[in-house]
Amino acid sequence: MSAIQLTLLIFGTMLLLMAVRVPIAACMFVAGGVGYALQAGWSPLANFLNNQAYARFASYDLSVIPLFILMGHFATQGGISKALFAFAAGVMGRFKGGLAMGAVLACAAFGAICGSSVATAATITNVAYDEMRKHGYSGRLTTGTLAAGGTLGILIPPSVPLVIYAILTEQNIAKLFAAAMVPGIIAMLGYMLAIAIYVRMVPGHAPEKDEVAHNSMGSALLGIGPIAAIFVIVFGGIYGGFFTPTEGAAVGAFATFIAALLKREMTWDKFKNCFYATAESSAMIFLIFLGADLMNAALALTQVPAQLAALVGTWGLSPYTVVACIMLLYVVLGAVMDELSMILLTVPIFFPMIMALDFGMSKEYTAIWFGIMVLMTVGFGMLAPPVGLNVYVVNGMTKGKGDAVPIAESYRGVMPFLISDTVRTLLLLFFPMISLYVLRFMQ
Amino acid sequence: MKILEPMAKLCAILAGLLLIFITLMTVISVVGRDTIGKTIVGDFELSGAAAGAAIALCMPWCQCKRGNIMVDFFTTHMAQSKQNLLDRFGALVLACIMALMTWRTSLGGLNAWSTQSGTMMLGFPEWVVYTAMVPPLALTVLIALHQAVFGFAGDSPESNPELAV
Repeated sequence: MSAIQLTLLIFGTMLLLMAVRVPIAACMFVAGGVGYALQAGWSPLANFLNNQAYARFASYDLSVIPLFILMGHFATQGGISKALFAFAAGVMGRFKGGLAMGAVLACAAFGAICGSSVATAATITNVAYDEMRKHGYSGRLTTGTLAAGGTLGILIPPSVPLVIYAILTEQNIAKLFAAAMVPGIIAMLGYMLAIAIYVRMVPGHAPEKDEVAHNSMGSALLGIGPIAAIFVIVFGGIYGGFFTPTEGAAVGAFATFIAALLKREMTWDKFKNCFYATAESSAMIFLIFLGADLMNAALALTQVPAQLAALVGTWGLSPYTVVACIMLLYVVLGAVMDELSMILLTVPIFFPMIMALDFGMSKEYTAIWFGIMVLMTVGFGMLAPPVGLNVYVVNGMTKGKGDAVPIAESYRGVMPFLISDTVRTLLLLFFPMISLYVLRFMQ
Repeated sequence: MKILEPMAKLCAILAGLLLIFITLMTVISVVGRDTIGKTIVGDFELSGAAAGAAIALCMPWCQCKRGNIMVDFFTTHMAQSKQNLLDRFGALVLACIMALMTWRTSLGGLNAWSTQSGTMMLGFPEWVVYTAMVPPLALTVLIALHQAVFGFAGDSPESNPELAV
């Protein structure tokens, strides 16, 4: 079989299995395993598997993933979100659509200690949804805002997808987090701007004026204090050179747990829930790792990715055109596929291609900038129809609350935010220094 | 499922406790290093070993909750009963893969035992981690098989959305 035929066979098998609802990790595993065995033989495959689970699971570098997930769940269950939203609503309450902007601000702050998009959306929805509806916000704007705000959980560091990208491409996690800071803040401001424009252009979705209590010093401290403290400890520690990002994840989990204890919200049941949720997410991610490993090993044997990288190099396309094409492909792929699997599957193929192109900046900057671009498309994929995971989760949480919001309304609600996402992505695509500038201050 | 589910829950809690162990050890090590200049020797090796066991211990619960992500884009308009049938097939595929991994990881463990291989600094024996990984992987096989054969009728309700990634 030629290399091209083999590649087609591998991808064909994977897509066929995916179409019939086999878990994505299993699809990659089977397709990759067959592809590997056809090229190298069955017994090398068997030998490869002997140590594969150990190599992937018992890895110090990868332990950062379950730790950041655990930290996020401590934050979610720890009861710090309620005071946070009250504070954020107080800050933004004076503007039209202020409560929605407050929800975005709360998501951004929560995102600074939580690396997951769905957890952020669900946590803030829990405390903000009823309040927003009570004040007269439409179901469309409320669910749209909360689903979009949730993506700030990954756009603002810490960020689980960014950690996975860093591991796949052997880049420095601390530098990737730093490069994500400014784009994350731009995302937050962009969402607030989207709300401001939307409530003026399309009347009837927000009240003329929000009746929100202004913040006293004490409530502000209570609202933002714990999160600010955790953020300063974790990121101050990482950038101050006191510990590595992997250690930072452990320190962050510890600090968040202490904050939850101080809030007196952490019961044994909630504690167990944190463990269950962490187990579920971690197992899901690591199983995809196993599948993607086999898939990438099989593809590497065909040498098609390397040839593809060389081929694209000879086309003489502008490097930015290549990145723009990859972004578009991600948007299409993200419409049918889970974003984490998408990264694990495609980054090993696209990354060498990108690194072979000349963007007029150092290799490291190129790698970091491409990571930020990938992150932007992940955020987009969490919102875009037909399967925007965040939209599903937030919409699902409105059920059983009196008037459930139809899913089509929620998708209409995220449109202004998707426009904001697109503008931001283009901005970062054509002006890489927006995200990379911060790195100049790091050494 | 009456026996399998509590066992999966127990595994998840053990995994959580191992993560807490990593957390505490790291905090002590970091504080020690930045204050009195002393650190726990080989802490990252122990973290790696604990993480290995922890991740394997996460697997059964994830399978219980059907937490492994799949693509439902092409089948949304299918009848629920047909979707369930496909999901049982998916569980079967996963059971086969997990069985393969259980088998090969056991062999890997035997190999680590016979060569007595250990980590670089502490010489922490690798076979211990392999041994800790095999039972939860085997439990995952049983859970997935149970789902493939008997369907998902007796399952606990959908995960709390708040707890997803």
